[in-house]
Amino acid sequence: MRNFSISISFLIAIFLNMSLDFCDCSLNAQQAKTAPTSSAKIDFENDVIPVLTKVGCNAGKCHGAAIGRGGFKLSLFGGNPQSDFEAIVRQQKGRRVNLSKPESSLLILKPTEQMEHGGGSVLDLDEENTQILLDWIEQGTPQKTERTLIRVQIDPARTILDSVGQTVPLKATAFFSDETEKEVTRRTVFTAEDPASVQIISGDDENGPVAKVLRRGRHIVIARYLTEVIPIELVTPMTSIANVNAREQKTNFIDEEVLATLSKLKIPASGQTSNGNLLRRLTLDLTGRLPSTKQLKNSQSTSREEWIDELIGSEAFNQYWTYQFAKLFRVQADPKRHGPGGAKVYHRWISEQLRKKVGYDQIARQLLLAQGNTQKTGPANFSNTGKGARLQTEFVTELFMGARLKCANCHNHPLDRWTQDDYHGLAAIFAKVEQGPIVGVKKNGIVIHPVTLESATPQLPGQLISISDPMELSPGDFAAWLTDQNNPYFAKAIVNRLWKFTMGRGLVEPVDDFRSTNPASHPELLDLLAKDFVQNGYQIEHTLKTIAMSSAYSRSSRPKVDNKNDAMFYSHAIRRPLSAEVLSDAFSDMLGIPEKYGRQPVGTRAIQLVNSKEPSRTLDILGRCDRDESCEVPNGSSSIQGGLTEKLHLFNGGLLNRRLQNPEGRLNKLIRSGRTPLQIVEAFYQYGLSRPLSAKERAFWKKEFPVESATDAAPNSQPISTAQREKLEDFVWGLLSSDQFQSNH
Amino acid sequence: MTLPTSNRCDGLTRRDSIQLGALSALGLNIGSFLPLQNASAMASPNAIAPKAKSCILIWLDGGPTHLDTFDPKPDAPVEIRGPLSSIKTNVTDIRLNECFTQTAKLMDKVAIVRSMTSPLGEHNFGTHYMMTGYKPSPAIEYPAFGSTIAQVRKSKTILPSNVAIPKFTGNISGNGFLPTMTRPFSVGGNPATGDFRVRDLEFYRGLNLDRLNRRREFVNAIDQFSRDQDQSAAAIMHPELERAYNLIASPKAKKSFDLSEEKSKTRQRYGSGNNIGQSCLLARRLVERGVPFVTVTSTGWDSHQNIANLKSRFGNDRNAHLPSLDRAFSALIEDLDERKMLDETLVVVMGEFGRTPKVNASGGRDHWPNVFSVALCGAGIQGGQVIGSSDKLGEFPHRDPVTPADLSATIYTLLGIDPALDLATPDGRSVRVAPDNAKLIRQLI
Repeated sequence: MRNFSISISFLIAIFLNMSLDFCDCSLNAQQAKTAPTSSAKIDFENDVIPVLTKVGCNAGKCHGAAIGRGGFKLSLFGGNPQSDFEAIVRQQKGRRVNLSKPESSLLILKPTEQMEHGGGSVLDLDEENTQILLDWIEQGTPQKTERTLIRVQIDPARTILDSVGQTVPLKATAFFSDETEKEVTRRTVFTAEDPASVQIISGDDENGPVAKVLRRGRHIVIARYLTEVIPIELVTPMTSIANVNAREQKTNFIDEEVLATLSKLKIPASGQTSNGNLLRRLTLDLTGRLPSTKQLKNSQSTSREEWIDELIGSEAFNQYWTYQFAKLFRVQADPKRHGPGGAKVYHRWISEQLRKKVGYDQIARQLLLAQGNTQKTGPANFSNTGKGARLQTEFVTELFMGARLKCANCHNHPLDRWTQDDYHGLAAIFAKVEQGPIVGVKKNGIVIHPVTLESATPQLPGQLISISDPMELSPGDFAAWLTDQNNPYFAKAIVNRLWKFTMGRGLVEPVDDFRSTNPASHPELLDLLAKDFVQNGYQIEHTLKTIAMSSAYSRSSRPKVDNKNDAMFYSHAIRRPLSAEVLSDAFSDMLGIPEKYGRQPVGTRAIQLVNSKEPSRTLDILGRCDRDESCEVPNGSSSIQGGLTEKLHLFNGGLLNRRLQNPEGRLNKLIRSGRTPLQIVEAFYQYGLSRPLSAKERAFWKKEFPVESATDAAPNSQPISTAQREKLEDFVWGLLSSDQFQSNH
Repeated sequence: MTLPTSNRCDGLTRRDSIQLGALSALGLNIGSFLPLQNASAMASPNAIAPKAKSCILIWLDGGPTHLDTFDPKPDAPVEIRGPLSSIKTNVTDIRLNECFTQTAKLMDKVAIVRSMTSPLGEHNFGTHYMMTGYKPSPAIEYPAFGSTIAQVRKSKTILPSNVAIPKFTGNISGNGFLPTMTRPFSVGGNPATGDFRVRDLEFYRGLNLDRLNRRREFVNAIDQFSRDQDQSAAAIMHPELERAYNLIASPKAKKSFDLSEEKSKTRQRYGSGNNIGQSCLLARRLVERGVPFVTVTSTGWDSHQNIANLKSRFGNDRNAHLPSLDRAFSALIEDLDERKMLDETLVVVMGEFGRTPKVNASGGRDHWPNVFSVALCGAGIQGGQVIGSSDKLGEFPHRDPVTPADLSATIYTLLGIDPALDLATPDGRSVRVAPDNAKLIRQLI
């Protein structure tokens, strides 16, 4: 399978685009006439490399490419100063620098295009950047760095602008290990995530660069200095409504945060949804089912909190969340993955953990550390998800940290902190796990680091704790680090997923792409949710309930004029299509006859299937996830479901027709029970949409199904006419094919 | 397209929005009310009179080797040249792979671009670039040719405007930011089997057109009542359902998919041991009936191992990829020509990139986007020519490099769509059909 998530391609594309921009970036001569002629000591790492980055020499399209360009290779965006120094000073027998005649160095002649240069002219002789290179060569190309960069601060980090067209000056300050600081604005590369929303106007001698906002909304500008990448948030309110949402109800901290953001953007919130629809929304979100008749009836006399508690305590909750986690963990009966036997015990194990309310931290530790026969020990199958230590590293970090380390396999991640050392260091830890039918310890397992071509030194991501003997680092150390309550990734990654399951969009979106340059829409809310999750024993039920209790959750999906274009700030509920499995189960429940999946016993629900590839044309057409790869679909683009193929099948396939015509189906049973067609219509609205007919709807259906007086007078006395039955079939078909039925709203 | 400015919360005029473009994927979705269909053509004055009514794209999924198809290097060392040889064609100085015996006789009708170049050597990215003309972007996914055409051309038939046979590549969605309606319709199945038919076109037992009509009315009623703020509009809310209905309702449209209507001699000419042949025949039937864009997908061109398998996989193998492509492509050209359709049909043969000039240890070739080839014919283009060239070893462009962006602008132009035409994304940004910097391949037009 070659289906990388498209979002990965976005990421790489960002990096490619940036590279392009850099390459095209040629500074013009008027910009820097007052270049210093002699100067302070030039520092290779802190002065020279930023010049190379600024003018684009080390971009992916130029010398930063994996194989370099024209025989000259630099590390991508200066990620490896040591190798860059070697390349510039030592390689080519030192011809790239000429100590006695600095201006005759290739490092000067090429970028100023005094000699033929594939990348064209990127530097002018009389600009400051060139002077830095000249001074450095003049000073004897010193490598020693006096100070290391601690952090870069961008001012402003976040700001609100009143109107479109306004500009903000951008300033970057570097802070060093020797407690000095330096303004590095001109060495910092600023890139708008979307150039159509924010224009970066590069500065000149007098004025620094500014960002000009071109559209309303929330926009991100990325600043890069050396290896630091920092996002800047620019917000221009959407309306000019004063005191927006002042009277909105706040149930818990979620509402505080959501409303604060809406107020900042001046977006009004929609009202609360009806009780019936809220029950439908909750039941679908928590159990993957439509509310039963009994649930609908009981809901009249119980509180929202009682509904939620009852749903969370139900067997249906266990089934549904076993399915959700089986998707996340990519449980697959394919012999290339877990095999039918392994998948079965694995699936059962997940269900048990949920039933016993085992904390998610403990679940993660068990998965990472389980050993033994995968046909018997469910969690041992986890170690067989990615074939080889590298793919397992990518899977584990994506699952538990929401991070995509994939890029860091071949080069340091261009948009995040992840380096090749992080990637291969963690892979070296997973190399100590013996994959296969019996998962165990592989004491001598190694991975080769592509740069050193030697076995990689085990390392925890980001090297956040130092240890005396890295070679001894084990999966146990990783598990302990990952599930430590201060780990910055673990809790956020899962609460963000739970948020998306219930609210329709991750606070970080895509949910598996946490990085500093992809900030959360509500960073404080994400922190609070994670903290609350940790404090409450990593209980997914707790977080689900917290979200379900909030007023933000129960908001109507009906937009207002002033919030209809909001797709990420939760001013109204987001309509979500039901997943293939949930929809297929809902069809079965509505029709009163279960769909049969492969060779599974009749009555097996789609969400209970252990095998994600159980033969089923229905699930194929409805667009299930086969779990070969992550099941995340990129935000905004709908999954494969829908389309002409599905509609043709709904019309003429057996999926709905076969069961609609079945005498034992719900429709025919209701007909036989002697109800009038209108009563049957009413009953189906209750089952399917959890609400009674509106007056207009009643009038419409009454016209379609005029009450037959005979039936009216004496139920059961007369069978319904064929024409009426067919029309009822057509009504049920229409309901099941409607967007209103097929989505959670 | 006129835009009521009062509807825009940012107060921008349409002109502004064109100049400014758009809104971040992270920003708000402004302007989802912009009507998408029939983006207004703002044809540039030097637009070229289009010849092609339709296009058949033969997509060689996986990345076809350029050295063993349209750009052989008979004089290169054996590790570059590979195990297959080359043959003369009916055009002096143009050689093709030895398997292209039929195509060689039609070379005077075919143009080859041998200097295609791209930086993207990964399947999804390469596919995106080749099929949309745009490199993948962080903000939006772009539409492939067929979806753009389905969007801007008013369909003259109830057949879908964008069809994939037997299915579309899994590498990209196809429609990108355009509505899912424009996504390619995959016929499914295998056209090479005797009982091939498109599923679910015939009525389920007990159903008839009246009932289907009633069903679609009921769906619309249920949704309109449920979302009562939309009630005012009598608009079609379920365009996909409408399309499915219209297709089912037309026996004539359904016949388009019926290969058994073709003479057995014709079917044989296209070849049937490999599904590319009958897929091309079906594509011809569809363009003949007014479908503007058909993608024929042939999988299995990701030849990391044993490149010679493309010629034959076992003794007496007649249906390996290269001979099958040769039969299908040449049959399609001749057939279109005989039916006087060649001038109005553009046929393009390509994949996502080329393959490494040096044969690898497994006798295969790996991904190589730096230089590769695309073959085109029909639509009035000048055949018998080679545009650009690769260097001696087939590693980099030697002359006149052509980017996928340039190719896309050329294909759109040949199909009568101005590359500068603006499409609107759901969040209201304007995006050109082909990138701004794309140059037309003048020799082709």
